[in-house]
Amino acid sequence: MAVRIAVLGLVAVVLFCGLFFRLWALQVISGDRYLEDANNNQVRTFRVPAARGTIVASDGTVLAANRPGTQIQLWPAAFDDMPRARIRSEFRRLAPLLNVKVQDLRKALAQGKTDPLSPVTLKTAVRNFKVNYLLEREREFPGIQINAIQLRKYRYGADAAQLLGYTGQISAGQLKAREDDGYAAGDIIGQSGVEASYDRYLRGRPGVGQVRVDALGRITGRQEFSELPQPGYSVKLTIDAKLQRAAQNAIAYGINLARRQGEYYADGGAIVAMNPKDGSILAMASNPTYDPKVYVGRVSEKNLEHLADPKANYPTLDRPVSGLYPPGSTFKPVTALAALETGLITPGTVLRCDPSYEIAGQTFSNWDPFYNASIQLVPAIAMSCDTYFYRVGKMFYDAQGSPLQEWARRMGFGRTTGVDVGPEPSGLIPTPAWRRQHFTHAWDQVWHPGDSIQLAIGQGDVLVTPLQMARFYSLIANGGKLVEPHVVSQIEEPSPNGQAPVVVRTVKPPPPRDVGLDPANISVVQEGLVDAAQNGSYGTSAAVFGAFPVSIAGKTGTAEKYQQIPGYPNGKLLDQSWWCGYGPTSNPELVVCALIENGGHGGTAAAPTAMRVFANYFGVKPTQLGAIHSD
Amino acid sequence: MATRVVQDQTARPQLSTEVGAAIRHVDYLLLAAVAGIVAYGLWVLGSVTRDDVPGDSGYYVTRQGINVTLGVIALVAVAAVSPLVWRRSRKLLYGILIGLLVIVLAADAIRGSQRWIDIGFFRFQPSELGKAIVILCVAGYLAERAKDVGRMRTVAGAVGLVAFPAFLVFIEPDFGTALMYVAILGVALFVAGARLSHLAALLAAASASTLAILWMLPAAGIDVLKPYQVERLTGFLNPDLDPSGTTYNITQSITAVGSGGLSGRGVEGATQTNLNYLPEHATDFIFSSLAEQRGFFGASILILLYALVVWRGIKIVALAPGLFEAIVAAGVVFVLAIQVFVNVGMTIGIAPITGIPLPLVSYGGSSMIVSLMLIGLLEAIHIRGRLAGRS
Repeated sequence: MAVRIAVLGLVAVVLFCGLFFRLWALQVISGDRYLEDANNNQVRTFRVPAARGTIVASDGTVLAANRPGTQIQLWPAAFDDMPRARIRSEFRRLAPLLNVKVQDLRKALAQGKTDPLSPVTLKTAVRNFKVNYLLEREREFPGIQINAIQLRKYRYGADAAQLLGYTGQISAGQLKAREDDGYAAGDIIGQSGVEASYDRYLRGRPGVGQVRVDALGRITGRQEFSELPQPGYSVKLTIDAKLQRAAQNAIAYGINLARRQGEYYADGGAIVAMNPKDGSILAMASNPTYDPKVYVGRVSEKNLEHLADPKANYPTLDRPVSGLYPPGSTFKPVTALAALETGLITPGTVLRCDPSYEIAGQTFSNWDPFYNASIQLVPAIAMSCDTYFYRVGKMFYDAQGSPLQEWARRMGFGRTTGVDVGPEPSGLIPTPAWRRQHFTHAWDQVWHPGDSIQLAIGQGDVLVTPLQMARFYSLIANGGKLVEPHVVSQIEEPSPNGQAPVVVRTVKPPPPRDVGLDPANISVVQEGLVDAAQNGSYGTSAAVFGAFPVSIAGKTGTAEKYQQIPGYPNGKLLDQSWWCGYGPTSNPELVVCALIENGGHGGTAAAPTAMRVFANYFGVKPTQLGAIHSD
Repeated sequence: MATRVVQDQTARPQLSTEVGAAIRHVDYLLLAAVAGIVAYGLWVLGSVTRDDVPGDSGYYVTRQGINVTLGVIALVAVAAVSPLVWRRSRKLLYGILIGLLVIVLAADAIRGSQRWIDIGFFRFQPSELGKAIVILCVAGYLAERAKDVGRMRTVAGAVGLVAFPAFLVFIEPDFGTALMYVAILGVALFVAGARLSHLAALLAAASASTLAILWMLPAAGIDVLKPYQVERLTGFLNPDLDPSGTTYNITQSITAVGSGGLSGRGVEGATQTNLNYLPEHATDFIFSSLAEQRGFFGASILILLYALVVWRGIKIVALAPGLFEAIVAAGVVFVLAIQVFVNVGMTIGIAPITGIPLPLVSYGGSSMIVSLMLIGLLEAIHIRGRLAGRS
């Protein structure tokens, strides 16, 4: 037994000697190396944003892509032990180099104090020579780091600014709402337009990895990815790049035209060009516009101030989707269809079209003070006779319930269209119930005959978006079916080596839905719209489309709206110029809705604007304008 | 020798003289070494954990102080009782241990994997107490069959005796402590005089089953351990494989130990500890923090103190009054020595990460109390051995 105890003692000696040798080796022999390791040992997790997917037009034209850029960041941890004088001198050298105030650098440092191991971005998109200067003198600028990043590049610039949208750093509120979807602070996400609504496809998956940084916050080791970044998918639009540019130019042309005719307040507009069969949007333009470059890189507050200035008339507003206007006479086909469906009138019903219509002490005038005859529905639509429709409005007032409003809803008004970009307001179709709820004054709460009469010609409280109008005219063009407008056709995964991209998902909106209109009634309205655009004797846009090589049908509108105009504190009642229609009339391929804000009569500004879009689409020359007689 | 034991039990001297003799025969060097380790451990724990609980820099030290107090009481109590009392009641002890382990497992099923039983102010780990009970039981079993220890039957019986609680601990899952039970069995058989061929077979079987659990069965698609456990156990063989993942602990720990150098980085300068690069710096990796703060000198002092304990322990094995006491003393010495080796070895990359605490130093009540209890056992044997030797 003594031997065995001795063996146990020997085992213990061996075990303890093992510990001593190993400790000696680690601490004494390699101690310096491990000390260095410990000093360098600040493993940081980093996220590398994935390359954002491109946005391409239907013909493959790239509308939004990426370009390499540089980002200068400050690591607050590096300044922890630095003497104040050292910080001051570093900031003084850095400020002029980056065009940033010393004060802002201090602010960035203070901001980082709460989380010293997260870098604060000082500036993106720095010029190359400055980057090189900094790289050469890295040691003189401890705590400053230069990163290669991707910046967004919009090839069509201002032509599709509102439609494509822009990207920006995720806000605290957005982060809170989407934390579960893998978003993290500092991520760049789409903030508006297609960039926002298709962000989950475009963004890809950020890479995650670890890197060692030294006590001064400089990266010392290789970046080791635990997850490689996965580039985002490409989003293919239904937008026709050429038509989009033509639409944007057409609005500018229409505004100019209106101003030349004395409508000096004309300062904005919208166009929707849509395939009436499936709701795919071929062009969607908004004016005034802006260059999305202002949102790329380090955003300058000065440039954004301009965008927010009311004098600039809200360039970031995507008017076709988000703009609300009274529709004016472009609404008359809604009234006509509702009246026919309800049986209030027939195509043969003859009503007076005279200079004015009086009811309950109120006088409503026709836009054309010289016409005075009894007419049927088709010419009433074609010449846009107000007094004819006032009388129809009175019939709706006398009818049971609110059939006009109900039909308007069925035809897509007062609710969102479901388009895949936003934000989309629902618009407003006023009803007696709405009046009761919305107003406090007893007189205002009552639905008066005047309300029905105003609604019949698209005036009063009714509000629509240009997109809702385009959808309604698509319904007339396709024989009574409501389409779901959309701008994206498919999601594609880019393939390497220039091979064709792989389609990940085809965006299929629900099939057009029949709203239950009698085809006979639709063809009556169609007839009226053809007459309106082509009948040389009384068609309101015949001067524009009469000589157009392709047969076009469409309706003008002149909608009065109180606009906030500098110098008019209570607003000024100005005419919003509308035109909506389609062509070719035999087999409609394209619906165009054009709006010129404060542009005067529909026939003088919006109709020529829309004509330019048709001309580009059909590849024909714009026709010369004749003498225009229009509402 | 056997007759003297009988005398000791039957002829009862006056209580006062017995107590006086007992106090005279305490191994004071062993006590001093243990006191040194405990005091050193408290000091290190205080500096390592001072920023762990905001506003209460003494949080861990205070609680560990209570554990030490309870442990000292246990030490004195165990030292005062003749080890033969444990020998007589070993079946009861064994039953209690199995009962407690089953309770832990049953509670596991309810609240998920945990190793302790909650008794109000204290979380009690039966598997720690099991170290003492397994030593006493296997020692009692072998001492009873001292003449037959060379027979296969006896060895197999001892294996069965230990294998049951070891299995229960293993499925808790606490692979490290289960291995510790197996180590106790080996030492006990060795001291009891089992044949070397039997011991070799046992060692081969243990190695084979370890290999099977870690490598062969997983390769065949049967996972006995959870993947993270296997990675932790085998990661020390190749710490650079995945420095940010499972071997993160080893890499950080080795860096901490190495950076301590000859004389240490001091309490303030120990960035590995202070910036929380070291995981579990109050419990499993407290040695790394000590080595970072106090360097080779500071670490050596602790290891020398352990060596002193082991040396005194082996002396006690030699002068034990009987085979039972000898096996118990050897079991105690080795369960402490192996824990020190595995824990320190883990922090410096020569042993697997098993979650075995550093006895008498790591923060934790069960380990501290049971470790001091084991020292109490050594003292009890020392006192009886000296008393027996005197008369």
